[in-house]
Amino acid sequence: MALLEVKNLTVEFGSEDKPFRAVDSVSYSIDRGEVLGIVGESGSGKSVSSLAVMGLIDFPGRVTADALTFDGQDLLGMPAKRRREITGKDIAMIFQDPMSALNPCFTVEAQIMEALKVHEGGSKKQRRERTLELLNQVGIPDPKSRMTAYPHQLSGGMSQRIVIAMAIACKPRLLIADEPTTALDVTIQAQIIDLLLKLQEDSDMGLLLITHDLALVSEAANRIQVMYAGQLFESGPADSIFSAPRHPYTQALLEALPERSEGHDRLRTIPGVVPGQYDRPAGCLLAPRCRYANESCVAARPEVSDFNGRDVRCFYPLNDQGQPTGLNTGGTV
Amino acid sequence: MLGFLFRRLGDIIPTFFGVTLLVFFLIRLIPGDPILMLAGERGVDAARYAELQAQYGFDQPIIVQYFDYLMGVFQGDLGKSFVTKKPVLDEFLVLFPATVELGLTGILFAVCFGVPFGVLAAINRGKWIDHLTMSVSLTGYSMPIFWWALLLIMFFSTTLGWTPVSGRLSVMYYIEPTTGFMLIDTLLSDEKGAFISALRHMILPTIALGTIPMAVIARMTRSSMLEVLGEEYIRVARAKGLSPLRVIMVHALRNALIPVITVIGLQVGVLLAGAILTETIFSWPGIGKWIIEAMNRRDYPTIQGGILMIAFLVMGVNLIVDLLYGVVNPRIRHKR
Repeated sequence: MALLEVKNLTVEFGSEDKPFRAVDSVSYSIDRGEVLGIVGESGSGKSVSSLAVMGLIDFPGRVTADALTFDGQDLLGMPAKRRREITGKDIAMIFQDPMSALNPCFTVEAQIMEALKVHEGGSKKQRRERTLELLNQVGIPDPKSRMTAYPHQLSGGMSQRIVIAMAIACKPRLLIADEPTTALDVTIQAQIIDLLLKLQEDSDMGLLLITHDLALVSEAANRIQVMYAGQLFESGPADSIFSAPRHPYTQALLEALPERSEGHDRLRTIPGVVPGQYDRPAGCLLAPRCRYANESCVAARPEVSDFNGRDVRCFYPLNDQGQPTGLNTGGTV
Repeated sequence: MLGFLFRRLGDIIPTFFGVTLLVFFLIRLIPGDPILMLAGERGVDAARYAELQAQYGFDQPIIVQYFDYLMGVFQGDLGKSFVTKKPVLDEFLVLFPATVELGLTGILFAVCFGVPFGVLAAINRGKWIDHLTMSVSLTGYSMPIFWWALLLIMFFSTTLGWTPVSGRLSVMYYIEPTTGFMLIDTLLSDEKGAFISALRHMILPTIALGTIPMAVIARMTRSSMLEVLGEEYIRVARAKGLSPLRVIMVHALRNALIPVITVIGLQVGVLLAGAILTETIFSWPGIGKWIIEAMNRRDYPTIQGGILMIAFLVMGVNLIVDLLYGVVNPRIRHKR
């Protein structure tokens, strides 16, 4: 059984009769010891879907799913109190901006010990020892003196290490990292990712890595999910997605990587932006930006289907040569 | 920390000169002659008038009078009341506890209701609780104290008979002042029921005085709380699996209270201004009533002394608030 099983997760905001779907029927699963990368542009619903897994979507947001189970337990159906026992203990999350993720009024020590107190109890002395151990584990130099530091006294990289220490305090089985390196500078980014992967490996955690950095997921993730405008566009093993993208969007994303632009004068881009609440196309959400789109793409929305062992949401998935298939027949493959 | 304290104490010096200057000259601009006031309806003849003027120093140039006054203040002498002939400071110290007691209960009332109302409104933003507390607080803020106090008396004292109309204690009791705080003195005394009586006398003045600060605090708490609830660290706290109560009361409130504390400090000035009205209406034997009476009689030394002491009090409270600020907000504490 998968550690986390998400089936047709949908998150809606706005009025009942005209809702805005931030996340639209997204399904995935993640096993123990596995790294799943979720990639997509800003506004593609990556963060919202993980917040939904954490149970952090507030009214007026509505979360529905055919299944949202952790270790076989139904997360949506259980009482709020029971769910809080899992949140922060078995499933932990790291957020994008470490500088604002720590409460400015409390010391590092207090914030880490709080998580321990809620989920594991134990004496204050035990918790303090464990905190010191955690700070060592996440590579904080001179952890003893950092214990009593306040967040404003820490650098961004240091703060992110504290946030990670806080997240892994109760030895979670699943760690969700929502763009953990976006707010950090490049040299620190690599350190933080290395740290996360090491922790993941050491404790056999599941790691859900949300990012818009393709290079990063290509190195870190076992499997990759490509999301666009709240929908799942393609998912499959990391190496095969990189070598042979099946969805035109994945292909375009990869072509936009600077290292793949050799021989071009300019970096390649995807024209346009992710559709928002009011400019959603009726057909395929990518149609206005897709180089292969035709009338049928504008007219109807493709469903996710299996193509060569890969889940792809496209009428004309790409073949190994990067050319759309089935265009001549003008129908679904 | 110590450097900050000295700097703040240094700020008090110009404020002190400002206050003495303002009070000294402003009260002399009010029409009315203290000697004629003292003389009453029969008046005095010219010779006696000149004699009295010399006695009180009014024959000197006004600048000289001011410096005389200032020299006295530096030596801890606020002068003697024209009316009672007693030292102003002594009178002040006798009446002061009554005002402090009322002020403390007033601010306590304001904080105890204002902060929870603000928090309730913030976490129920846009719902009826929010609208209710915010309209109540706006009404409270817009209500003139004297009118509000009279309404309270009319309803609770006259119609319902729940509380006494005025004073600090029922005439049935006599309490020897030890601390000057009636609630404490009655508790210490053997008189049965005196404490209850003192408590009942406190209720309406406390509400009348505390309503405006309560409204301000509630609104401030609400907006500050709303801002904090949108912060990332609140989401992080929830991701830790903390209960909603703990997230709000510990993580959000602690941060939200930082600006509220400043407002509470500023409200102390408002409170003392309100005390003048409240004490007059409820015949509360405190500084406010004392200064009003002194003004009616053009009792210059009492007015000057009283206002100077109040100014010191407000400065002192704001200094304490600034120090407290550092306790609540670590970012300020460490920057020094």
